Amino acid sequence: MNTVDYLASREDLVSPGISACQGCMAELSLRVLLKCLGRKTVLVVPPGCMAGAGVGGWNKSMGVKVPCAMPQLGNSASMLAGIKAAYDLVDPDVHCVAYAGDGGTADIGLQALSAAAERKDNIIYVCNDNEAYMNTGFQKSGTTPHGASTSTTPVGSLGRGKLNFKKDVPMMLAMQNAAYVATLSPSYMADFVAKVQRAAQIKDGLVYLHILNPCPTGWGCQGSRSIALGRAAVRSRYFLLYEYRDYRFEISAPTRAVREPLDVGEFIRGQKRFAHLAEADIDEIRRVVQQRWDKLSRLAAE
Amino acid sequence: MNDNEYRVVWGKSGLYTLETSAWRTFRPQIDYSKCVGCGTCLLYCPLCCIGKADGRIVIDLSYCKGCGICREECPKQAIDWIKEAR
Repeated sequence: MNTVDYLASREDLVSPGISACQGCMAELSLRVLLKCLGRKTVLVVPPGCMAGAGVGGWNKSMGVKVPCAMPQLGNSASMLAGIKAAYDLVDPDVHCVAYAGDGGTADIGLQALSAAAERKDNIIYVCNDNEAYMNTGFQKSGTTPHGASTSTTPVGSLGRGKLNFKKDVPMMLAMQNAAYVATLSPSYMADFVAKVQRAAQIKDGLVYLHILNPCPTGWGCQGSRSIALGRAAVRSRYFLLYEYRDYRFEISAPTRAVREPLDVGEFIRGQKRFAHLAEADIDEIRRVVQQRWDKLSRLAAE
Repeated sequence: MNDNEYRVVWGKSGLYTLETSAWRTFRPQIDYSKCVGCGTCLLYCPLCCIGKADGRIVIDLSYCKGCGICREECPKQAIDWIKEAR
């Protein structure tokens, strides 16, 4: 079955009207994720965009049709590990899924996540990476790229956007021997669905999925452009799609198909958060993008 | 039901829904003379409000936020963009 028919036939387990922004890719990723995993899922959504949009529910209503709890920002992985331990006694086939933002993964929740990887808890931890704390007003996070203007790294007479580089969380988890690590982009839906289906089969440890979700509100672009931006991120090798399983890296088809990468400038142009960047700053980003590609291709070749 | 009881939503009752259709200024409309039914819009609609019925692509406008992704991504430019009269 092709991806279109598969997704058309699956039940949407998220409420039809949640208050995510126009063109929000985190919403699309969550819907497709739950479509693939099905009803036998327990969801944990720490504070962040999706919890704020109503997935965790308001008052006594719920935003999803599966059990959903809102942990604290720092402990989603450890809370989920407890939920998984309890479900293992009842039905080990229940998928225990965390859908955390990049702040809740790369910064605040990293300790709990890394401990869950160490314990080999069989949970599915999904990072919705929109490259800043978008829910609270675009503060920089560990995964914000170099040069991006955010409300805590503003551009002015002294500030030139974020000084440091993006934290590479999927690589970090792969080096920590998570059972399965994959990077996903909603712009490549067949690849996305295949990786979620593969993640659902894995029973021997932590599963980590890292999704780059373009955020029109925070990145400063038209809502209609978010799929195109995600595609440009993959084509320029700014975001690399790969899988890690059984001590082996495998570069996924959309990234393998990139023979002549797009200039990173193509991806950066049209985003308000990068509007101030001079050519020298873009060169710096190009250098890091090239380094990451070299590292990954060396790892995948071994 | 007791207030302390944990609930899971079945059906529409108890489901948090916002009338997001009020947000849009433009609405998508499929031009079936151009549509080839490839389903690209169905893949990328963030609200998953595009579905398939009798082999045809149909848009359910009851929650559509009017983001315009379907129109932008359509390979045949088969989606018209119509201003909402309000």
